[in-house]
Amino acid sequence: MAQLFPELFPELRERLLRAGVAPRHVRRYLSELADHFADLRAEEERAGCSRAEAEAAARARLGAVDELARAMVEQRQFRSWCARVPWAMFGLAPLLFLAAAYFLACLYLWFGWRMFLPGADTPFGGRNGSMYDLANIYFQAGKYYYICAPVLVGWGIGLLAARQRLKAIWPALGLLLIAWMGATAQIQASRTAVPAGLGHISMKFFGLGPEAQVFGGAVHALIIFLLAALPYFIWRLSQAHARSA
Amino acid sequence: MLRMAARESNPNFMNGVPELLILRLLQEQEMYGYEIVQAIRSRSQAVIKVGEGVVYPVLHGLEQEGALRSRRKTVNGRSRIYYSVTPAGAQRLVELASAWSNLATAIQKMLTGAQHGAAIS
Repeated sequence: MAQLFPELFPELRERLLRAGVAPRHVRRYLSELADHFADLRAEEERAGCSRAEAEAAARARLGAVDELARAMVEQRQFRSWCARVPWAMFGLAPLLFLAAAYFLACLYLWFGWRMFLPGADTPFGGRNGSMYDLANIYFQAGKYYYICAPVLVGWGIGLLAARQRLKAIWPALGLLLIAWMGATAQIQASRTAVPAGLGHISMKFFGLGPEAQVFGGAVHALIIFLLAALPYFIWRLSQAHARSA
Repeated sequence: MLRMAARESNPNFMNGVPELLILRLLQEQEMYGYEIVQAIRSRSQAVIKVGEGVVYPVLHGLEQEGALRSRRKTVNGRSRIYYSVTPAGAQRLVELASAWSNLATAIQKMLTGAQHGAAIS
C-alpha cells in the first residue's frame, strides 16, 4: 500500500490518528484508498497516459489530504475510546486491569496454597524443598507474575498511546497511577491473620504505610514507572528523531 | 463531499445526498468503492462528481449504522470490499428518497412560479 502512494498515506495516517480516529478505521480507510488509487491509475493508463501522468491524475481524482482527512474526521462515530474518554482509558482502565491482574495472582496463590501447602498457616516462606521442586517453581512463577504485572499494564498504556498518537500527558498519568498502585500493593495470606478474607487472602493498595517505608515505596514506584514507561519513551524518541531527520 | 461540475454546492443543501445516491446504487447490486464512484459519475452524466476518496467514510458510516453490509471478495486476483444494502438501509433509502422528492418538487414549484412572475411583469 505504501509503495502505491508513498507521499500521501503516511501523512494521512498521522493526521487521522492524531485527530482521534480509531486505528482500525484508519487501516481500513487507507487500504480501500490504496485499492481505489490502483484502479484510477489503471484507468488512466488504459486511456493512454504514462505511469507518471496516470499517478498524478489518480492522485488528483482521489482527493487532497485535507479533503480525505476531513471526510473521515467528521464521522464522529469512528473516534477511538482513547480520544473520546482519555481520562477513563488512562486514569481508570489501567487501575482496573492491574486490580484484575492482582486478583488472578491471589487466585493463583490460593490454588498453590491448597495444592502444595494444605496444612500451612501461610503460603509465604518456610518451605524446605529443592529449588527445582514443582511447588517452588509454581510459587516463583506467581511471584514474577505479581512483580511484572504493573510493568506489563504500563506497556499496554504505552502501546495504546502510541497507536493513537496521543499527547504524553495521558499515558504519563496512567503510568504514574500504575506505579503508585504497584508500589503500594500488599498481599496478606494467613489463616490466623486473615480469617475472614477471601480464602484467607487479602490485598490493599495506595496506603503509604509508616514513614520509614515511604522512601522505599517511592523508590519502588519510580522503578516501576521507569520500566513501564521505557518502551513508550523509546518510541517517542524514535518519532522525534524521524521527524527531525 | 459531492461537487457539481461547475462549482462547489452548498454543503447544507447536499446533506444526505451521498447517502441517497449510494443506497440507490447498492440497492440494485453490490459494488465496491471505485465502482460506486464511477456509477455516480456516469449516471449523473458527470453533473455530480464525487471527490473519489471521500466516498469511503460515507460507506463506513452507513455500514456502522446498519444500512450497509460489507464482505471481502476476490475478483481477478484482487481482494475488494463489496457493499450491499440491508433491510434497514432499504428503509432509509425510502425515507431519504421521499424527503428529496418533496424538496425537489417544492423547488421546482418555486422556480416555475418565478418564471410565471417574470412572464406577467
